[in-house]
Order: sequence, then C-alpha cells, then structure tokens
Amino acid sequence: MSKKVRKETIAVEGVWPVGSYVYKAPTLYQELLEGFKQKKIIGSLCTGCGFVYVPMRNICGRCWRKIDARVTVSDKGTVKSFTLSQAVKKGQVKVLGMDPVEMGWLKEGERLIMVLVNFDGTNSKYTTILLNAKPEEAHIGMRVQAVWKEKPEGKLSDIIGVEPIK
Amino acid sequence: MWRNIAVIGVGQTKHGIRRDINAAEMIAEAAWKALEDAELGPEDIDAIAIGNMQGFGGICQAELWSGDLFAAPGKPVLRIATGGTTGGSVAQCGMYQVASGLFDTVLAIGFEKHSDSKEPGATMGLSHVGLANMFHLLANGVDVRTSFAYGGGVGAAAGVSAYQACEYMHRSGCKIEHLDMVAAKSRRNAAKNKYAHLQWPNCTAESLAKHPRFGEIVAYPLRLGHICPASDGASAIVIASEEIARKADRPAWVRGLAACADEENQQAENAQGVSILDTSEQMQCRIAAMKAYRMAGIKNPREEIDVAEIYQPFPHQELMYSERLLLFDDGKAWIPLEEGETEIDGKLPIDPSGGVLSTNAIGSSAMQRVAECALQIMGKAEEHQVPKDVKNAVAHGWGGSTNFTVVTVLGDTPRLRW
Amino acid sequence: MMREKVAIIGYAQSYHQANMPMTREDMVFEVAKEAAKMAGIEREDIDTVINATNDYYEGRTISELFLVMPIGAYLKDYTKVEMDGANAVFYGMLKILSGTHDIALIVANTQGSTFNPHQISVYTLDPTFDRQIGVLNDISAAAIQARVYMNKYGISEEEAAIVSVKNLGNAAKNPHAHRRMPGISLEEVLSSKLYCDPIRELTMSPISDGAAAVVLASEKKARELSDCPVWIKGVGSCQDSYIRDRKLYKLEGLEAAAKKAYQMAGIKNPFAELDAAEVSERYAHEELMIYEALGFCEEGRGGTLIDSCATFNDGQLPVNPSGGALSADPITATGLIRIVEATMQIRGEAGAHQIPGAWRVLAHGQTGICAQQNIVFILGGEE
Repeated sequence: MSKKVRKETIAVEGVWPVGSYVYKAPTLYQELLEGFKQKKIIGSLCTGCGFVYVPMRNICGRCWRKIDARVTVSDKGTVKSFTLSQAVKKGQVKVLGMDPVEMGWLKEGERLIMVLVNFDGTNSKYTTILLNAKPEEAHIGMRVQAVWKEKPEGKLSDIIGVEPIK
Repeated sequence: MWRNIAVIGVGQTKHGIRRDINAAEMIAEAAWKALEDAELGPEDIDAIAIGNMQGFGGICQAELWSGDLFAAPGKPVLRIATGGTTGGSVAQCGMYQVASGLFDTVLAIGFEKHSDSKEPGATMGLSHVGLANMFHLLANGVDVRTSFAYGGGVGAAAGVSAYQACEYMHRSGCKIEHLDMVAAKSRRNAAKNKYAHLQWPNCTAESLAKHPRFGEIVAYPLRLGHICPASDGASAIVIASEEIARKADRPAWVRGLAACADEENQQAENAQGVSILDTSEQMQCRIAAMKAYRMAGIKNPREEIDVAEIYQPFPHQELMYSERLLLFDDGKAWIPLEEGETEIDGKLPIDPSGGVLSTNAIGSSAMQRVAECALQIMGKAEEHQVPKDVKNAVAHGWGGSTNFTVVTVLGDTPRLRW
Repeated sequence: MMREKVAIIGYAQSYHQANMPMTREDMVFEVAKEAAKMAGIEREDIDTVINATNDYYEGRTISELFLVMPIGAYLKDYTKVEMDGANAVFYGMLKILSGTHDIALIVANTQGSTFNPHQISVYTLDPTFDRQIGVLNDISAAAIQARVYMNKYGISEEEAAIVSVKNLGNAAKNPHAHRRMPGISLEEVLSSKLYCDPIRELTMSPISDGAAAVVLASEKKARELSDCPVWIKGVGSCQDSYIRDRKLYKLEGLEAAAKKAYQMAGIKNPFAELDAAEVSERYAHEELMIYEALGFCEEGRGGTLIDSCATFNDGQLPVNPSGGALSADPITATGLIRIVEATMQIRGEAGAHQIPGAWRVLAHGQTGICAQQNIVFILGGEE
C-alpha cells in the first residue's frame, strides 16, 4: 500500500492540557515567605557539605541526605549572570498565558534586565530583576541589594528585585 | 566494555518543517534508510532503541503506534529520553544492547516532529518543566516579571543558555563577534549538508550581525540568528557486534562512551536553589569526556581527535564544550575559531554538518552527532566530508538544563581486546 | 546465554496510595536511599542510575530532570527509560553485562494523582484516526479485549472477577498495597461501578502514587555485598503490534517475551518449575490471558486455571501474592514493584504474604494499551 504523495498532510487537532495537572510543592516555601514578612532571607543549610541554598532546597544531592538546618542570609549579593529581554511590545510575548504589557507589569518598549544573584553567604543563585540601572551597567560581579516591598505580604514578590549598591 | 561494537549504517530524513509526512512515516523513513545503508533487512535487527521528547509532538510513546512501520513487533524495544541529548542516550542504549552480548544487531532511532505542535518548539520546551514549577509559584505570589526572568525572557532552555552565554563570555573573554562567527560557520556548513534545516551558503559573521531580522538581540547576548530552529526530522543508526561489523566496508567503531548528570542548573524543582554558580563550568561534561576518552584509549584528545560533532543549539556552547571536551584550553576556544582551525578544512573541524545550531529536531539532534561522526569515519559525509583522514571522532550531546552530557568516541579501528 | 551474572542486592517500595502527602522528589529519595541501604552501598559505590518516569504522567517535559539529585545520581552515569520500570531494570542489566558498570540503581515512579492516567492512554493512540474517533482509551480497549477473549473461549465474567477477589484479598496482607480488601466477595466485585462493560471499578487497577527502587550488581559485587543475592536467570522483552493490528484474544507479545526468558533460564515447564509469579494485570481478565501467554495453562484455559484455585496463595503456583497491579498501579513503577515483590519472596522477606520456599519467581511488566509491550524476568535464589 503506498501513500499518495501530498504536499501537506491533513491536520488533525489534539490537546495536551498541561494546565489541568495537579502539582505538589514542598512546604518549605512557607518558611521562606515567613522570613520575607520580616524582610529576612532564610536559606537551607546542608550540615554535610555546608552548602546554603536560596530559595530553600530540601534534599542535598551531593551528600544524599535531607537538608534540615536553616540560616538567615544577607540580602546583599553579587550578580553572577544576567540577560536582557527584547523590547517588549504589547501582544508580542505571553508569559503563562498573560500579556505582561496588558497586565501592566511591563511598560511598552521596556527591556528587562534579568539577573541571577548570589546572595552573600549562600551557594546558590536567585532569579530576579535588576532595578534602577541601565542595561549597559549590568555586569557580572556587580554588587546589588534586594529591594523589598514596603509592606511585605509573605509572598515571593516581596522582593521586587535587586538594585546596584552605590 | 568487553565487546567491540560498531556503527555500520546511518539513515537520516531531511530535517526542516516537514508537513508532507506524519511522525510515523518520518521515523520509518530514517529507519529504512539506516537499514539500507547497513545492507540489512528488518529481520536482521535483534532489538530497537528509540526516543524523543514526547511532549512536543503530542504523542505519548509514539513507538507504540508507529512500531509496525519499522518492524518493531516481535522485538524488544527500549524507549529512552533525556531532554536535549535524547538522541545521544538512545544511541548509547543501542550500543549497550549490543555490548551486553544479548543482541548482535540493533537499530537506534531518534526523532522529533515539532511542527505538529502549535506551541513554539525546541527552545520553549523546557517551559513545560518550568510550568510545573510556575503554577504554584504564581500561587505564592511570584509576579509575571520575575517568572519572565526564570525563562530568560525566551523560554527556559534558551533562558538557561542566555545566562550561560553571559557567564561563558565573562569567563573566557570572548565577544559577541565570536558567537557570530560560530553561527555563521554553522549556516555555511549546513548548506553543504543535504539533510540540514537552516542553510545559508555564504553566511559570514558580519552578514549575520547586520541582518535586519537575524541580527536582532533577542536575549542578550544571543541574537535571533544564534538560536537553533525547531526542526522536524528523524535519524537512525545500526549498531553491530564485531563479527558482523567486520563484514562491512568501513564500520565506525565505538571506542568509548560515557554519560554524566550534574545538578540541574539555575533552578530546581519548585524553583528551589541550585548551587551551580557558573553554568559554564559543566563539570559533568568533563567527567563524561574523560571516561569516554579513557575507554577509547585516547590520551591527548587535542591531537588525536580529528573531528568533533558538538551539540550547540547556541553558539557559545560550541566554544564552551570544545573546551570541556578537552579539545582546547579552558577559555581559549575563540582563538582556534579566529584562526579557522574549526572550519571543515581546518585542523580540528567542529560540526562540519552544521550542528544543532542549524538543525534541531530534539530527539534526533544528539543522535545526528553520533551519526555524523560515523559518516565522517565511513567517508560518506558527501559534500561536508572533512578533507582529512578521520581516525577518531567525538560526538557530544547535552540535555536537561545543560546538566546532562553524553559523549561517544568513534574511530576507524576497534579497541584492542584485553 | 549471558556472559556474566547479574543480581538484585537491594530493593525498596513506597506505601502506594491514592494521594501521597509527599512531593515526587521526597518519594523517590526515600525509596532510593532505602534500596541502597539494604544493598549496603554508599552513593560513591553506585556506577549508573536509571530512572523510569513518563513525561505525560508527570505533566512536564524532561520529567526526570529534578529527580536527579534526590535519587543520588549527582555526577553519575545516568539515563531515563520512559516505559514501565521493569524495562529500566533490563537496561541496568545490559550496562552491567557490557562490563562498563558494576552497580546500578534503578528507580521508577509515578504519582497518578497528578493527572488521570486513563486520559493519558488516549495520547498513545493513533492521532490521525483513533484519537479522532474518540472511542478508545485504555479502559474501553481493555473492555473490547475482554469481550473478544471471553467470547472466544467461553470465559465468564465471574471467572475474571475471581482474579480481583484473589488479588484484592491478597493485598490485605501487603502493607505496601494501595487497595486492600480483606474478605472481599465475588458479589462485591461484580456489583462495583461499571465503567465500560465488562470492566468494573474492582476489575481494573486503581490510580496510585508510588515508587520503587532496586540495586543491581555484577556477580563479583553481588557476592561481596550480599548474603542473599537474587539472580536474574532470564529475561525476555517483546513489543506487539499496534492495537488495531494485533490479535486481541491472546497476548502474543507476552508469549514471545516469556519464551525468551524461559529459554535463558532453562525453564521447560513453567507451571511446574516456578514457585510464584508477580504479573502486571491492569484488568482482572488480563491476568487470565497472562496465564495462557506465560504457558501456565493451555490457550483458552485461563478460566479453568483460576477456577482450580491453583494460582491462589495456597495453590500450586501462586500468582500475585502481593495483590498485583489490581491492588496498586503507579503506572511506571508497577513492573518494578513486581520485581521487588518477587525479590522479597526469594529472600523470605514478604512477611504475611510470603509463599513458603519460593526460590524461583517470575516478574512481569507491561507498557501500552492492552499490554502491547511486555517484559518478563525469571528471578532465582542461589542454586
């Protein structure tokens, strides 16, 4: 049996509804968010290797054990890497089904400076936005300070971003 | 590894946007081509290894549906998937199937049909991973700008790579111009590869950087022209035991293979912290490379490797991984690039096929690296055959959030038995 | 014949349940650690790690990505098998047989509570035809298969339901099982909710969260580390044709796989030579078809075999003393759990559901609608 040579196959519809999945999350977020309410960053410390993770991690793969110790770490840190988004226009990008310009989270034409920050006293990187700086100023090794919401609510957005330490 | 094994046949479909065939037909096309190349029939195959990133094409375990088209019924089938390096892991599965002694001839197939999905393909794929994290992060109040940042503004796989490119440039001192040079070389080489997707025969670093569309910086420092396409395609290899391989004209002997997994880069499950501060470190790649070279009896890869097929959907990765594969000194890969050493006719050609930068059907890409090395050794790479004696070649793949690495070393002679 | 011998020297399984109050990382961490501890090894001793999960069930691509650290695979040779976990054991075995690795850690996991696995079975179907028609999923397909099988050989619904009575009753003695129903009656099974005639709530497997792990070792390491290594005597794997292109009244693929396993293990009369069998029966009638395919009885006589009570725990060849998949079905982990249970039997560690003197046990795993892919292991104690 041979297939008739066609230029295009017939399209048939199908859906994989990733949005209907039920994902489980660990409870250690609540600890982190409680700390945020007091403008404190709490990290998890593996007493085996001494590594401190922010955001917290509950299993240390190097030592192969659960992480159960906590430390409060500095909210000052160093930029380890950064990238710039394109100039965002309305209707151009969708983040999780939402248009960031439409939602008012980004201004039209804005370029975001996205940074990975290693807060002092930790061994991990924290993903966030660089505020109050121009794209040309961003560089690896830049010293930055967390910018807290004035009245933190115990949410991840209590750290609005980081800004350069003058 | 007690048994000597070799690749004795290679088959690839044309990679690109393939709206003329469905996934099953595409897999079968590569499989049959590989069998033809090996001068075997389906009855000669003892087992099959197959894999793809099944979320992209919307078919779960596609070999169940399509198996009848490539003579899978009656045979043991193993399905393998490891993110971007799926094809490489599938190839190695095929190799272990023969190396175990339980099977003598095995067919290994990697494939992907991105265009079947309405979502953007390859580079956005890790969004699915990210999504699982994102839903409850949203519940915990992460704002859209930060969630944007997790994906580097372009989707998680490109995102990790954008941050990684920045780290690599800082570490090595290379410039965006070097990324342009790598991308241009990839497009030029791909133009000589009839199965490749993005072909641009006279591409230069300048023409790429100045191009109105491809020159645009999408996620600093990556331009649009630096980002791999999302291709449809399938590639397959036939792996055989020494006894059977000796009947072939010029088998590509598998001299060493290794795989290694590092801690996930950038963010973990539920966006937990990850202690890799420099994603261009790639410790697991060094380990896999050292193991593979040791197995292959290669002591000085820089001198002994004749051609390398490196998995580089983003240009800095060609430079970075060539260093981690011990082909160039740490941070210095841009020097041989500038000197033309890595061109097809250079001293150590890298990605003469164009590599992943120009062709990326995820499940197939890392398999193609093995297949291309085999073609170079067999002398069958046609227009992109390197004009030198190929005694040893190294095929590399990365997957996950650049934390899985698979390294295979192929050669024109089998290892000495011990 | 195999060049080298491979043994299981450690195992673990979770307490399978409908909605485990644990993240998937914690779940796999626990079983991986426990298996390694039993094997007497540290993380440094592990040469290769293989994880069996499926992106669709997990709701994420590269579903194994964030499980690397919890299962101890940091900087190790590592890969994922995206099928039933028993196939991951096969791959681990291949790596050891090749001489490149000595100790393999195999972990399989699924949390069925994440997304309905029956819905996912639809995505394995032909997207151009079966998915468009919209009639088939694994339940309706199993129902069709049950009807074909039962009609052809005159097997009654009662005979199929006895499998549920047996297995769910057996599960009562298995603390790890999800669905345990001591004293369950035939009437209860036959009056349970009808899904797709003749498949009922109690004649199909439950949706479970669960994980399992085993440690494999080469002969040399096994003898060093374990005083009761459980040897892999034989293995056979086979993929059958797609559902519309194969015989539905018999499991031909399983028959072929079993033949290979028996040949390798030197078994000529499985019913007489095996002490027990742990099979993956997603549906009650499937177990009857499995009897036939495994050669425990003649073709079409699965009903007669279950009627004879020979496959009950006190019978001549107990099948699924653990309760089988009908008692716990964390999809990709199910076949690996069968291997764990078979290992427990041989080591005398099966507790209340121990079959006395079990020394040669069969374990079976399946993948795909109507058991399209099958893998059979013959495990045995020291001869």
